[in-house]
Amino acid sequence: MSDRLTIETSALRKNYDGVEALRGLDLQVPAGSIYGFLGRNGAGKTTTMKVLLGMARPTAGAARVFGLAAGDRNASVDIRSRTGFVSEEKSLYGYMTVERIIRFTAAFYPKWRRDLEQRYVRAFELPLDRRVKALSLGTRSKLMLLLALCRGTELLMIDEPTAGLDPAVTEEVLQALVAYVSGEGATVFFSSHQIAEVEQIADRVSIIHRGRAVVAGALDELRERFRRVQLVFDGEAPAPAFRAAGIVRAQRNGRSITVLSSAGADAVIEEARAWKPISVDVVPVTLKDIFLETVREEQ
Amino acid sequence: MLWYKSWMETRWVFLIGLLVASCVAASVVLVWPKVMGLLPLAATIDPNGKLGQEIRESAAQVADYRSYIVSQWFAKNLRQIASLFGILLGSGGLLSQAAGGAALFTLSMPVSRKKLLATRATAGLAELGVLTVGASLMIPLFSPSVGKSYGAGETLLNSMALWIAASVFFSLTFFLSTVFTDIWRPLLIALGVAIGVSIVRPFLHIAPGYMVFDATSSGSAYAGDLPWRGLLVRVALSAALLYGAVINIQRRDF
Amino acid sequence: MMLFRPNPSLGVPIYLQLMDQVKHAIETGALRPGEQLPGIRPLAEELVINPNTVAKAYRELEHEGIIELRHGAGAFVSRNSGAKKLTDKLRAAQTTVAAAVKQLRAEGLSEEEIRRLFEAELAGLARGGNRE
Repeated sequence: MSDRLTIETSALRKNYDGVEALRGLDLQVPAGSIYGFLGRNGAGKTTTMKVLLGMARPTAGAARVFGLAAGDRNASVDIRSRTGFVSEEKSLYGYMTVERIIRFTAAFYPKWRRDLEQRYVRAFELPLDRRVKALSLGTRSKLMLLLALCRGTELLMIDEPTAGLDPAVTEEVLQALVAYVSGEGATVFFSSHQIAEVEQIADRVSIIHRGRAVVAGALDELRERFRRVQLVFDGEAPAPAFRAAGIVRAQRNGRSITVLSSAGADAVIEEARAWKPISVDVVPVTLKDIFLETVREEQ
Repeated sequence: MLWYKSWMETRWVFLIGLLVASCVAASVVLVWPKVMGLLPLAATIDPNGKLGQEIRESAAQVADYRSYIVSQWFAKNLRQIASLFGILLGSGGLLSQAAGGAALFTLSMPVSRKKLLATRATAGLAELGVLTVGASLMIPLFSPSVGKSYGAGETLLNSMALWIAASVFFSLTFFLSTVFTDIWRPLLIALGVAIGVSIVRPFLHIAPGYMVFDATSSGSAYAGDLPWRGLLVRVALSAALLYGAVINIQRRDF
Repeated sequence: MMLFRPNPSLGVPIYLQLMDQVKHAIETGALRPGEQLPGIRPLAEELVINPNTVAKAYRELEHEGIIELRHGAGAFVSRNSGAKKLTDKLRAAQTTVAAAVKQLRAEGLSEEEIRRLFEAELAGLARGGNRE
């Protein structure tokens, strides 16, 4: 993995008709990674991709892909020539046949991968002479993925790659994504709210909530950093006023305090020792826990 | 490939338009003997009153084959058909695709929005041109069958002039399609404008040089030289509308 | 090839799981010294996990002297004694842990409770600055 950033945004803002879709998004996607972009529906995932591909213009802040400004019209054409994109709306030109739309798309990309095309036509069992409008959602999703995978581009940007797919197809899709980066050393940037699939293939993640990245980093590091500490006291638990850095949440419940830390358990335990807990439990935290805790609405 | 896409999206409108226009053109020629048979009746109508005067005027216009063709085909039927299909060909496009989601696929291609629009507009205008000129060629083709002739060169000039006139409606719809996200509003508004213009036209005192084939003008025989000023105004209007469409689409967030 | 099967939804990093599974395979003799490990790409594609994760696990294993990465040829189980020493050490440690777990179980503690105790103990060690 190199330190080169394929995607970089800083303080990116986007307003749609007065609605703040992105509110200062910072994102760093290194080249060669499979980057999972997690968030609830409406968190700003799709908007981010649209801005990166020049489909929507940034209101403020910077968005760069391959070091090129995404808001610039000419640079944007260049970015798109080097990016395969699958939108969340699995919709294509219904009047074309599968074969036709493959040829149509191939015509725009000089590095079109005929070998991959043939491989995925077979693997995804695509009916070449069927019209797109007659395809099921699953088949259409696979076709759209093929149209992105075969562009021979260094970046793959996919909005919800497995939405509406059955588990077998989902596994095929994830396999294709893994093969994509392991083959060409390309970058995959995909959004999802399927935590399991993000955990499976991503090496870096960012959790976006209300237009801002609330957690970002290497997945392994996050798994090592995040800890839940459960403190139980003899009597009523003291007010959980921690000074330690990286406390995501500290909750008091009767005689116990539960702390979610993004900086390991040590500092928390160190601090809590002064309150003389009768037991200290440390539990590793899954990505799902991290996700749920960080996107939970404040009451 | 963008040409192919534009063609696929408009071919039915184009082919139906071409067929309808060609049939109407042929029938305009073929009914000429019947019209001639009715002409003596016009003389028997009471010469007084506004209605009688109008009938006599149009009868005089029709008496000459060349002005019959101009007044019945170019100034009337073709004008209406070309305007209608100009509107139909100009509708659709990126924004109406956005509702179905396919626009995002189009926009993910390494092509500028300007180029997307330019291709679509050029293809549509070309189809409108082929439709207008192609159908008009039925006139010189069928004229011998009623014992008349009509010059191919004049057909070409006249139909191209009408193509330019109808292009304004194409461009208007094309522009409206970048303002509204559905396909119906651009169609209805453009149709409304077209009908409105044809209703108020007789009451406007437009200098003859700015008109393209005015059926009600006093000149009973269209001489064949083109109304250059009128055409230039229409070309400029079309260009402005198409330019407006590009500006609109480039500003748009999807 | 199904020696390895990391579970992505455990809280434990996948590369650590993979490292453990490689070590386990060596301990049990499923992988012998000098034997070749699957390549990074094929393994990543087969397990449907990130190639960088596999690469990281292999790098760490090499660092610990358990495997050797030969340029262009792939990854091999190390023949040198360092790895052996470590595996021996680990094997001995496992006996200790097994004994401790067995005893705790006998005292009626659940698997989850034992896990937490270990975690807490490790965290406690770090606090004392004893961690490497």
